Amino acid sequence: MSLVAERAPYAGRSSVRQWWNNGNALPYLLLLPSAVVIGVVILIPFFEALQYSFTNSSLLEVGKFVGLDNYTKLLSSKDFWNAFRFSVIFALANVIGCYILGLGLALLMNMEMPFRGFFRVALLLPWIIPSVVSIVSWRWMVADHNAVFNQIIQLFGGRPIFFLSNNDWAQFIVVLIKIWRSFPFMMLSLLAALQGIDRSLYEAAALDGATKWKAFWHVTLPQIRDVSIVLCLLMTIWSVNDFDTPFLLTQGGPANSTENFVLLAYKYTFARNDLGTGAAISFVTLIILMVFIVIMLRRQREA
Amino acid sequence: MKSKMAVRRRTTLAFALLAATSVLGISGSASAETVKLQFWDMIWGQPEYIKAAQKIVQDFNKEHPEIQVEYRSIPWSNWYQTFVTAVSSGSAPDISTGAGYQAVQLYKMGAIRPLDGMIEKMKADGDLNDFAPGTVETLRFDNHYVSLPWGLDIRLWYYRPSLLKAAGVEPPKTWEEFRAAAKKLTADGKYGVVASGDTGGSHYVLSSMLNNGGGMFDADRKLTLSSNDRNVEALEWLSGIVADGSMHPASPGYSADDRRATFFRGEAAFSLDSPNIYKQAGAVSDDIAVLPPMQGPHGDTGTIFWVNNIMMYKQTKNPEAAETFVRWWSQNELPLWTEGHTGQIPARQSFLKDAVAGDDRYKYIVDNYIPIGKTTATAYKGIFPALSEVEGEGVLQTLTQQIFQGVPVKDALPQAESRIQEILNK
Repeated sequence: MSLVAERAPYAGRSSVRQWWNNGNALPYLLLLPSAVVIGVVILIPFFEALQYSFTNSSLLEVGKFVGLDNYTKLLSSKDFWNAFRFSVIFALANVIGCYILGLGLALLMNMEMPFRGFFRVALLLPWIIPSVVSIVSWRWMVADHNAVFNQIIQLFGGRPIFFLSNNDWAQFIVVLIKIWRSFPFMMLSLLAALQGIDRSLYEAAALDGATKWKAFWHVTLPQIRDVSIVLCLLMTIWSVNDFDTPFLLTQGGPANSTENFVLLAYKYTFARNDLGTGAAISFVTLIILMVFIVIMLRRQREA
Repeated sequence: MKSKMAVRRRTTLAFALLAATSVLGISGSASAETVKLQFWDMIWGQPEYIKAAQKIVQDFNKEHPEIQVEYRSIPWSNWYQTFVTAVSSGSAPDISTGAGYQAVQLYKMGAIRPLDGMIEKMKADGDLNDFAPGTVETLRFDNHYVSLPWGLDIRLWYYRPSLLKAAGVEPPKTWEEFRAAAKKLTADGKYGVVASGDTGGSHYVLSSMLNNGGGMFDADRKLTLSSNDRNVEALEWLSGIVADGSMHPASPGYSADDRRATFFRGEAAFSLDSPNIYKQAGAVSDDIAVLPPMQGPHGDTGTIFWVNNIMMYKQTKNPEAAETFVRWWSQNELPLWTEGHTGQIPARQSFLKDAVAGDDRYKYIVDNYIPIGKTTATAYKGIFPALSEVEGEGVLQTLTQQIFQGVPVKDALPQAESRIQEILNK
C-alpha cells in the first residue's frame, strides 16, 4: 500500500511530462492568451453584472442583496412588457424583411448581369457606413414635413406623414432603417451560399422538366436552409441587442413606443441610476437570447 | 583609464538621476508647488462661449501661477451619464458647472464637497449680496451650500411678429387669446405653435403648470401632479391647442434643434425657449420677439426657471485651490456674457448692466420674466435631489409626447404620476 502511495505521484509526474513532451500542451498554451482576455473582458464583467442584478446598487455604490426583487419588479412593470412587445416586433420584422430583401438581391447578384461588380459593392454601403452617420441622415430624411420622404409623398399628391411623432409610424421607420442597415450582411452570406450550390443539381432538375420556380423551391431553398437558419438566428440576436437604431432615431419615443430591452436597460442604469434593475434587464435579455443561441449552436453542429 | 571610467560612471549616474527626477516631477521647486485642477464646463452657448470661458481660465492661470486649471467643455447630450460615470470611476473633475439640480443630486450620492466655508467668507465680506435674491439659498440642501449660482435659465414664449402682422393678430396677453391666435395662425402648412418631444418639450408642460399657479409639489414636498386642478387645467390648455390643430404635428418627434429650425424658418408663430435664442436665428433674428408674460385663466403668471451653478467635487485633492478658482471664476465671469453671449441671465446683479447692454429683448426678459420664475420644486421652498431624475429620467418627456400626440390628459397623467412617485419613494 505504501509502495503504491509512494509511486503514484512519480507515475503522475511522468505521464504529465510525457504528455507535455508529446506536444499535447501546445494547443492549450496557444489558447491561453485568448482565454485570459475572454476571462477579463467577458467573464469578470458577466459575473459582476449578475451579482449586481441581485442588489439595489446604483452607479456610485454597491447596494444590499435584495434577492429576486429586481426581477419580480421588472416582470410586473409596464415598461418591461412594452419593451418586450417592441423587441419582438422589431426582431421579427427585421429578420423577415432582411431575409426577403437579402435573398432577393443575392439571387440577382448571382445572375450574369451588367455592372454586377458595381452593384455588389454599392449594396454593401448601408452596412459599411457608420451607424451614427447613416441613422442621423435617415432622421433628416423623415423627421419633418419638408424632409425627402415627405417631398416624395407630396409629389404624388399625398399628405405629409410625421414619421417620428406617431407611435406606429415611428416603429415602422425604426424597423425600416434597421432592415436597410442589416440586409447587406444577409445578402452577402446568402450569395456565398448560393454560389456553393452544385450546378449539376439544377441541370438534373431541368432534365426532369422543373420550372425556374420549382428549381428555386426544391433545389435552392433546401440547399441554403442551414445557412438561412443560422443567419436568421444571428439577425434575431443582433436585433434584440440593437441600441444604435432606436436610440439615435427616436430615443425610444414617442411615448416609449420604440423602446427595446437594451434602451430600457440603459434608461434604468444611467437615467434612473438603478444599476440593479438595469443589470436584471440585461440578464432577462440574455436568457431570451440564450434560447436562440442554443438553437443556432445545435444547427451549426448538425451542419 | 580607471579614472576615465569612474568619471564616465559618475556622469552616467548624474544623467540617470536627472532623468529620474524629471520623470518623477521633482526637478524644480516651482513645478512641485503647482496645483493642477480639472474644470468641466457645460456648453452654455454658441462656440464663442467656449472661447470666452477658455480665456477666463487662461487669465486665472496667469494670475495664479501656483494653480493651473485645465478647461474642458462638456456637451449636454448624456451629461448625467458623463458625470455619474466619472464620479463612480474616480475620475471626476475638481470643479464643474452643471444643470440646476445636478449639485444636489450628486451631493446625495456623496460626490460633492459643500462650499460652506467659502460662502461664509463671501457673506462676511459682502460679496454674497451681489447675487440675485434667493438664488444662493436655493442651492442650500441638508444645511449645506452644495454649489454657487452663476446663471439663471428660464423659459419664455417667443413669437414671429411678421406672421402675426400678416394674419392681423395682436400678441396675446392671456391663454385664451394665445389659443385663438394660434388657431388663426395655422394655415397653409404653417402652425400656431411648435414644440418638441425632448427635455425642451417637457418645459412646455412645466411652464404651463407654473404659469397657471400650479406646481408638481405642495409645500411639504408631496407630489400633486394630478391632484392639483391648476396642473390639470394647464395640460388641458396645451391639449386644446393640439386638438385645434394649431400645434405642429411633428412636435412629439422633434428635438430642440428641430423645433428651433422650424420656428426660425417661419413655419410656426410661437415657441417656448431660453433667453438669447434669437441670437442663433441668423437673418431672421430681428423677426423674433419676446411675448409678454401671459396670464392664465385665474390671472396668474409664472414660468419654469433654474439656478445653474458651479460646484466642487469630493474627489478633489486640492479643495483650497479649487475654492480659490470657484470664487475667482464667479467674480470674473462677465466675459461669458459680453464675449460668449451665453443665454443665461447672470446670477450676479453687478453683471446685469453689462450683460444686457444694447439688447432690449434681453433686458425685457431680465425685467419681466426673472421675477416670475419658479423652480420645478414649486410649491416646495428649495430644491431636492429627486428633481434631477424627475426632469431628466424621461417620464415628463413621455407625458409631453403623449399630450402633443393628442392623448387625453386623464389617460396620460396617471402613468406619469405613478412613475414620479416611484422616483420620490427611492
